[in-house]
Amino acid sequence: MAAAKKTSRRTKRQAFYGMIYILPAFLVIMTFCVLAIFMTIYFSFTDYNMISPPKFAGLKNYFVAFNNKTFYAALINTVKYVIVTVPAQVLLSLGIAAFIAEKLRNKYGGFLRSAMFIPQIVSAVAAASVWKLIFRTDGILNSIMGTFGSKGLNWLGDKQLAFLCVSIVLIWKSVGYFLVIYYAGIMGVSKELYEAAIVDGATSMKRFWYITIPSVKPITYMVITFSVIGSFQTFDVVYQMTAGGPGTSTMTLAYLIYQYAFSNHKMGFASALAVILLVFALLIHLVQDVFFKEKKEAR
Amino acid sequence: MKTQNKFKISVTLGTVLVTFFTVLCIIPLIYMLLLSLTQSDSPFFRLKDIAFDFLNYRNVLFRNEYGRAVINSVIVVVFSCIWTVLVCSMAGYGFEKKPVPGKEIIYKIFIATMMIPGQVTIIPLFIIMRQLNWLNSYQALIIPMAGAFGVMMMRSFMKSVPDVLIEAAQIDGCSELYIFTRIVMPLVKPATVSLTIFTFVSTWNAFLWPLVSTTKSSMYTLIVAMSLLDTKLETNYGLIMAGASITFIVPFVLYCILQKQFVEGIALGGVKG
Repeated sequence: MAAAKKTSRRTKRQAFYGMIYILPAFLVIMTFCVLAIFMTIYFSFTDYNMISPPKFAGLKNYFVAFNNKTFYAALINTVKYVIVTVPAQVLLSLGIAAFIAEKLRNKYGGFLRSAMFIPQIVSAVAAASVWKLIFRTDGILNSIMGTFGSKGLNWLGDKQLAFLCVSIVLIWKSVGYFLVIYYAGIMGVSKELYEAAIVDGATSMKRFWYITIPSVKPITYMVITFSVIGSFQTFDVVYQMTAGGPGTSTMTLAYLIYQYAFSNHKMGFASALAVILLVFALLIHLVQDVFFKEKKEAR
Repeated sequence: MKTQNKFKISVTLGTVLVTFFTVLCIIPLIYMLLLSLTQSDSPFFRLKDIAFDFLNYRNVLFRNEYGRAVINSVIVVVFSCIWTVLVCSMAGYGFEKKPVPGKEIIYKIFIATMMIPGQVTIIPLFIIMRQLNWLNSYQALIIPMAGAFGVMMMRSFMKSVPDVLIEAAQIDGCSELYIFTRIVMPLVKPATVSLTIFTFVSTWNAFLWPLVSTTKSSMYTLIVAMSLLDTKLETNYGLIMAGASITFIVPFVLYCILQKQFVEGIALGGVKG
């Protein structure tokens, strides 16, 4: 009886210590993430310009958003960035990781991996500044094309090409990062599996298809998640390279939120856009979860 | 024999393709570094224009409060690293080793916050900081840097600390503070190194929040100053590229020195997460 009491007092004390350990992180995350989300939702139902206090406006901001052409352009572009960059990032990083793991497991392969990772540590702002020079009409890309007899293209002045340019920078920046994650994952796949397959006469393509891809599935899930989150938040590159233009061709929701909130001080309207962005982010995660779950069950 | 040849061709072709892709990855950065060594009002330069006098670097650091921005960035990065590692290690330890009631629910909420795009919370973050009168302050740039990712990472490493060790120390009468700082923390040191690197790079390169929360030029971080340098009607591209190169060189040197920890941290965070 006494012993039990003692243990429970000990447990209580341990629980108290535990709360103290968790408290700082709890305060930071609860304030700046959880409370912040509820504040965003609240502001989205108000008119708020930061000078006078927020005025309740019902669903007005949402109605305005859904009647706003720029909003639709930004929404479609945000989804388009996901559709263009996520598969490119996943396929390139998985393909290169698998190739290096299978054929270039030497110093040279290691060097290539290290070099491809470097764009990841460059700030997006600096990267965009450099690429902006490369893509200029009088830039080096057009002059390289010129040596092949092409007239060159108006990369950042054409709507479709500008979108492509932003996508290229996004892909360029992240492939090395996902490559490192995939490479670690592939190295973790049991060697016996591959050896048995070789004995059975499976070609390297078959080994890739039937061993590597299924084995790294949890990693693919994670890479896709990171890649989707990254594409959804596309801001820095657009801000620095195109400012959403020409027209609205490279505009993203993230950039539009920034513009309305911090250039026009329409906090309420920007919050409504933020809520819509949040809903879309959650929807994509839901779709992804269902997709991966079904596949797991099918196996 | 024939398949052997085919095999070799495909390997060679693959190697060439991967090498070509690697070149594409680093060529923009080489271009940036070379152009930063020239005085050029066009995106072009000839090899003889390159001078190792670092004139652009000196010029950019002594104007436009760019030098001040470097100092700001260093302060913010150093304290963000200390703050993040401290907060996340404590939380990771509490979640993994302490019987806190309801901790799994709190942890799930933490993890869920990782899915939320930063732009969703930036408006309230700005309003909260404005209420606290913290705009244009270091603490506004530092405190929100601690996030759920670090907690998740530290918790997964805390699993490797044996419970027996902690219990033995408790029986020996070690204080809670002693157990945490002298027994637990040294055991998870590799994880703290990885988290430090991760925080270093993400804080150094952070853009949206510093852009929004600093309105005085004396509080700009380096990336914000870089962004302004590029959007001002500056015609010396060498100077802009020198500004960009400065933002790149610091994390790059860190990467060269600590490459193993960089890659391990990312790979581990990935595989374990």
